[in-house]
Amino acid sequence: MTRDGRSLIAALAGIVGARHVRTALPERITYARDGLPTHRRVPGVVVLPGSRDEVIAIVRLLAALGVPFVPRGAGTGLSGGALADADAVLVVLTRLNRILRIDPRNHLAVVEPGVVNVRLSAAAAPDGLLYSPDPSSQTACTIGGNVAENAGGPHCLKYGVTATHVLALEVVLADGQVVELGSLSGEPWGPDLVGLFVGSEGNFGIATRITVRLLPIPRAVRTLLADFAALRTAGEAVSAVIASGIVPAALEMMDQSCIRAVEDSVYAAGYPRDAAAVLLLELDGAQESAVAADAETIAGILHAHGARSVTVAADAKQRERLWQGRKKAFGAMGRLSRDLVVQDAVVPRSALPDVLETIARIAGAYGLTVSNVFHAGDGNLHPNISFDGRVPGLKARVDEASGEIMAACIAAGGTITGEHGVGLDKLRYMPLLFDGDALAAMRAVRRVFDPEERVNPGKVVPVHACREWVGSVNAERGTRNARADVRSDFRVPTSALET
Amino acid sequence: MTERGGFEGLDSCVHCGFCLQACPTFLATGDEADSPRGRIELMRALEAGELAPNDPGVALHLDRCLGCRGCEPVCPSGVSYGRGLEASRALLAERRGTPPLVRAALAALTGTGGDMRATRLVYALARALRATGVPGKLAGWGRLRFAFGMLAATAPKDGGRRWRSVEVGGGRPRANLHRLPPPSMTSPVLLFRGCVMQGLFPHVHAATVRTLEVNGYAVRDAPGQVCCGALHAHAGLRGEARRLARANVAAFGAGGDADDAPPLIVVNSAGCGAMLKEYGHLLHDESDGVGQRFAARVRDVTELLAERGPRPGAPIDATVAYDPPCHLLHAQRIAAPPEQVLRAIPVLRVISTPDAAQCCGSAGLFTLVEPEMSRAVLQPKLASLAQARPQMIVTGNPGCVMQIGAGLAAAGSPIAVRHPVELLDESYRAAGYYA
Ligand SMILES: Cc1cc2nc3c(=O)[nH]c(=O)nc-3n(C[C@H](O)[C@H](O)[C@H](O)COP(=O)(O)OP(=O)(O)OC[C@H]3O[C@@H](n4cnc5c(N)ncnc54)[C@H](O)[C@@H]3O)c2cc1C
Ligand code: SF4
Ligand code: SF4
Repeated sequence: MTRDGRSLIAALAGIVGARHVRTALPERITYARDGLPTHRRVPGVVVLPGSRDEVIAIVRLLAALGVPFVPRGAGTGLSGGALADADAVLVVLTRLNRILRIDPRNHLAVVEPGVVNVRLSAAAAPDGLLYSPDPSSQTACTIGGNVAENAGGPHCLKYGVTATHVLALEVVLADGQVVELGSLSGEPWGPDLVGLFVGSEGNFGIATRITVRLLPIPRAVRTLLADFAALRTAGEAVSAVIASGIVPAALEMMDQSCIRAVEDSVYAAGYPRDAAAVLLLELDGAQESAVAADAETIAGILHAHGARSVTVAADAKQRERLWQGRKKAFGAMGRLSRDLVVQDAVVPRSALPDVLETIARIAGAYGLTVSNVFHAGDGNLHPNISFDGRVPGLKARVDEASGEIMAACIAAGGTITGEHGVGLDKLRYMPLLFDGDALAAMRAVRRVFDPEERVNPGKVVPVHACREWVGSVNAERGTRNARADVRSDFRVPTSALET
Repeated sequence: MTERGGFEGLDSCVHCGFCLQACPTFLATGDEADSPRGRIELMRALEAGELAPNDPGVALHLDRCLGCRGCEPVCPSGVSYGRGLEASRALLAERRGTPPLVRAALAALTGTGGDMRATRLVYALARALRATGVPGKLAGWGRLRFAFGMLAATAPKDGGRRWRSVEVGGGRPRANLHRLPPPSMTSPVLLFRGCVMQGLFPHVHAATVRTLEVNGYAVRDAPGQVCCGALHAHAGLRGEARRLARANVAAFGAGGDADDAPPLIVVNSAGCGAMLKEYGHLLHDESDGVGQRFAARVRDVTELLAERGPRPGAPIDATVAYDPPCHLLHAQRIAAPPEQVLRAIPVLRVISTPDAAQCCGSAGLFTLVEPEMSRAVLQPKLASLAQARPQMIVTGNPGCVMQIGAGLAAAGSPIAVRHPVELLDESYRAAGYYA
């Protein structure tokens, strides 16, 4: 009960209207997963604010009550980041979907966090501009989610990930304070707080207004599809392309299993089904002749490194088809089996050929199907393991194989996430990469924004692995107990569904 | 019916979210529970018995699904959402019964209350009321006034008063029009009449027959045919849908073992067409695949016309917006044929609004039983049509004609909505094909 005697739910309804507060179990169940369905947490309450002011009012209410909360965009995240526990409120931002301003003269746009990525580019197109970060999920994910995950995408190889394109943010901190980070001309002084917030995985507060840079739509574009008889040669060709000094706008790889899933789908793009792997490359620039010359050079390099064929998209339509196939590949994995886990490791590009072979070997040893579709130019791997979760013991095998794959990537000099974030899913790998002191430092930074660790609790930093964990638990015990009382009035009985 | 009744169609969903932005109800509320992905989650839990079919939290969001299947063609994993939905609605109907409003509407519109005479009377009264012109004047946003708008939208329209037929060749009408000799081969086809189409759109049936004949089809009747059962299946009344399906299979002749193939079945309502093409699934357990063979013979009228060109008619100088019915575009995946039909009309300018592929909110009885969501889904379409300013809207499904027509009338717009074959028919008439 709140101080004025109304329950939390009634208070939330007072802010957003009863129809935008979801309390029934079935409704909350629909929010129990994100794009990585192997994690499942049923939130206590779901609230859908319709404006920035409502977000602020909600956060202030929750601060007053000491209730934890989790921001959520479209729920396409691939690390379980947007899931909330039964004692937390899930704040869904899909209704904040207005593009507030497009400024074609200064090449920038101001958006609410729930704007779907691709809609911003569509809105900017009449002015000859686009929003460059293009995660494969761009027809579904929100810009707020992109900011929180520092999302990448095929074209980030040349133009940079989300962080490069965010100029300023309005953020509601956990205590309800509203702060402006950054400015249109860059941070006026001190540390790069925008840079810090981008990629914070919902741990630093809720972004309510986002100012991004727009880029001119490139005037000349060439899209190449190269087809390889072996995964290793495709991996080697990637390094050769980068070594040429030409920076492709995008350089993506797909293996045979993935090619076939896409070719069986409505997004069939005409990839050769018998190829062991294909590379999808794009070159762009302001000058037709320069881009054409680069395309020719790259085609030569690909041939020299074992490409069976290199085809160039004949027109915009074919280019779009080639890209749609790539971008929907993850969504097509359901054709292989009903369950799926995807990893997101980054390895040095030169290690790609070896790592790909190692992954295949590990999968083989566990008797699992792995499909690879990834941002090869960045060395950002996405091995997808398809399996049937109904088979007893299989999920455990998948987890073990995932762990081994991750360890192999780290051993090759890589890291555990390129763009999907740590969330819940990669908590277990953090100690493989960081020692207790490093984790404690991360936690300390987070506490600058959210001293109570009330926004998106339990994600990103595996708290139990921090060196100061034991001490802090004792120090916090008092506040935790106090909070439990407040929460108890809306704790919805967890059902057998929750895992 | 398959062993799992259609739920198996949901197995391949990987929760990627690519369907979210294709779903009109998600766009209206932003709520995952009103999205395809969220509903799949609910349906899986229903099948597993983890959620009860009479749980209001389940029913609310499954009831609010339009069944438009806009989520299917965007799904990379090929999830059969529509089948899962029907299986779920069957469970719901079993547990909580059918709402009286739905029962009454089904009985009145489809005659499946058992009394076909009553239904004929309903339609006769509706046509009489329509002829007075009063419903058009009363059209508005309230439940009843919207229904008046829907009825008014079904009236045959005389396009001639809205635009001129262009005369080609300076003064000598039709003299140098490209008139092909009638096709030498005539193929017999059987017309599926349906209930609403027969009751309120007999003029579309007439246009269908005439335009098909010009293109070399001999249209015959199949006596004994009944409602397709789509409204029943959507309401979860599978038993009734199957009964109707069996009756239709009998009326149109199961076809099969004879040497010459049985005639194709032509349908001019996208909703009925989608249902007839599902008979294979619906009558899955019936002997030797009768449903499957029936379904294989079903063609939308625009498919048949497009196959023959169709023959070009006389020019119509107008700008029309083509709005593909969900049950044509998403359920039957028919995109090009209707546009091909319209292209057979010289000079006619066909435009398409950016959100044309999105549902109008009609969805069978949906507009009646979920008026709030239905109107919320209709609004964006009306807004983009207001911006595009066509002289007429063309769409090949009775529900869409009524829904968009009523919405336009309520918004005070004079724009009419018609079936593509009506336009072709008008063009053919001007070309002298019927002389
Ligand atoms: C098919 C598919 C392809 C994908 N391809 C790519 C890819 O190419 N590159 C890539 O980087 N990712 C990719 N992803 C992952 C995912 O789409 C991105 O992480 C995306 O940025 C998530 O956006 P969302 O709106 O769905 O966020 P959600 O999943 O809802 O949330 C993600 C995280 O952001 C936080 N959050 C959301 N909104 C806010 C806000 N306004 N303020 C603060 N925190 C917030 C949440 O708490 C959560 O921790 C893909 C996912 C899928 C399903
Ligand atoms: S697009 Fe298909 S696989 Fe993806 S969430 Fe929707 S139904 Fe599931
Ligand atoms: S059928 Fe239509 S309304 Fe229903 S979930 Fe699919 S897209 Fe949404």
